[in-house]
Amino acid sequence: MSLVLERQLVLVAVLLLAAATLVQVAGVVFGRSAYRPTAGIYTAVVAVLAAAIAGRWVREGQGPFLTLYDILLSNLFSLAVLLLLVTASLPGVRSATLFASPLLLVLGVWLTGVSEIATPLPGAFDNAWLWVHVLSGKLFLGLNLAATAAASVMLLQGAVPSRRLAALAAQPQETEQQIWALFFVSFICHSVMLVAGAVWAHSAWGRYWSWDPLETWTLVTWLMLGGILHVRSTFRNLSQGVGHALMLAAFAVAFLTFFGVPFLSIAPHKGLM
Amino acid sequence: MMSLLRKLASLRLTLVGMILLAVLAVIASRRADVDAGVTVVPLAILVINLLAALLTNRSFRAQTGLLVFHVGLLLVFVFIGLTVLLRFDGHAEVLQGTAFDAAQVETVDQGRWHDNRLDGLEFYQGEVRINYLPGLNRQDTHSTIEYRTGSGELRRVAIGDTRTASIDGYRIAATFNKGFALLLQWSGDDGSEILGAVHMPSFPEFDWKQVTTWTTPAGQEVELELDFDRPVSSDTSAWTFGDTSMAYTVHVAVAGDAPRTLQKGESARLEGGAIRAVDLRVWMAYQIEYVPFLPWLFVAAMLAIGGLAAHFARRYLPATVPAGTDKKEDALAHVARA
Repeated sequence: MSLVLERQLVLVAVLLLAAATLVQVAGVVFGRSAYRPTAGIYTAVVAVLAAAIAGRWVREGQGPFLTLYDILLSNLFSLAVLLLLVTASLPGVRSATLFASPLLLVLGVWLTGVSEIATPLPGAFDNAWLWVHVLSGKLFLGLNLAATAAASVMLLQGAVPSRRLAALAAQPQETEQQIWALFFVSFICHSVMLVAGAVWAHSAWGRYWSWDPLETWTLVTWLMLGGILHVRSTFRNLSQGVGHALMLAAFAVAFLTFFGVPFLSIAPHKGLM
Repeated sequence: MMSLLRKLASLRLTLVGMILLAVLAVIASRRADVDAGVTVVPLAILVINLLAALLTNRSFRAQTGLLVFHVGLLLVFVFIGLTVLLRFDGHAEVLQGTAFDAAQVETVDQGRWHDNRLDGLEFYQGEVRINYLPGLNRQDTHSTIEYRTGSGELRRVAIGDTRTASIDGYRIAATFNKGFALLLQWSGDDGSEILGAVHMPSFPEFDWKQVTTWTTPAGQEVELELDFDRPVSSDTSAWTFGDTSMAYTVHVAVAGDAPRTLQKGESARLEGGAIRAVDLRVWMAYQIEYVPFLPWLFVAAMLAIGGLAAHFARRYLPATVPAGTDKKEDALAHVARA
């Protein structure tokens, strides 16, 4: 697949995400469920991005692991897949797409402005632990996004009493259960990512832990996730809103760790000569 | 005593420890004057807090998944502590065609309890071949070494990107650092004959500046520059590092004297003796590491994750109860509290 076609596919995915965002807003305005059209659009996004990734993989002879473009492209795909699967299997968190869609749109627009030139994956980086590390990381981010986005909708419902907003989570108790279940699984996935990353780093550059900014902020994210679960156990009368606000803060740190820190810090994740 | 233990087991103390750990980790990673060792304080708080909770909190012990997760975490802390005390981390450059010399190891980090056995470490450096893609991107590394196993068997392995060698408990890993070396013969006016190697700067990182200074056995400081007759590396095409068969020139410069050039086999007169360019070799840099509890650290971490997964299954997955019974509502209420 040519680079031009790959770029066109990415553009189509971004336009589809813009459509998904509009559909979500229209759903709130007209007080109707936007789940079915959104799921259809997400399916198309997944198909288009899968084609772009497959074409790039064949052309470059390596997976999308290294550059900012690779990370944005692969995460856009994995986030869309996971949101599609989570909302299909857990009806209580279908409202997550209200906040997740604009976030994916932002990632997509960012992707269109990033250089698509691939950097060869150093031989030392290419082992099975890279796969475990990357896949568990993507699972973490996708599940955490679903939980946080659904929690954000509940926060909005609490802040702006509206019948139309209330319709987004018709069964708050079920939604609350599913949000925390997703959050817990995302914590497990984050733990796997952390351990697999340490094993991979030891193999790739001889250090399982070196307190570089990415490792430090990943540990901070892990402590925040674990801390939030602890807060929930410690303060039994903790309000739902505070729990959701803490979840939002943890996601913000995780998001910045994923998309900010690796590209502002030093060489390890980019390869050395 | 139990009252003190209960206070130490407080979940609020856990939160204090976690926040302190996060804050100190960020500070240590951002400030060069703060050592990561400061994280020992919150880690110690968390270990004491966890031990106290294990001793005093019966309901905590009754939840198997949660218990396994925390015991796994405790073991992670224990193995990290043992690793810090016992570990060794160093670097060494080894010349092609020679044996590893423990005296050349530059120590990066050594634990207080590490029993240094580097003198007993023996391996021989063979051929080095590192393939590069256009753009000076390292593709794969093959550094052949020979060593004797514990049973006395001679083993020859090519270590590199994902393969390391374990000799006498030490892990030998090839690094990205390598370069050319000049094998020089020193013939002193006093009749001394010394054969030695001068390691040139890392290649291709400093392919534009293959210059180094060397002090002769007679005490004179000499600048040596290695110059190849044709380009060795390429930014636009694939190439391989490790070949030493190409023609080269050594420029020998001494302060206050006209520079001289040497081809392979030629000599130059210096103060107190003469040097002869004997051969061109490569040197390879290795990380020499001793981390005895690393596999156990991994097992403990996986145990913790397994416990977490078991706890999730117990807390969040719906209980298998017949539909339409009161038990289903009880189960949902239980999940909501979790």
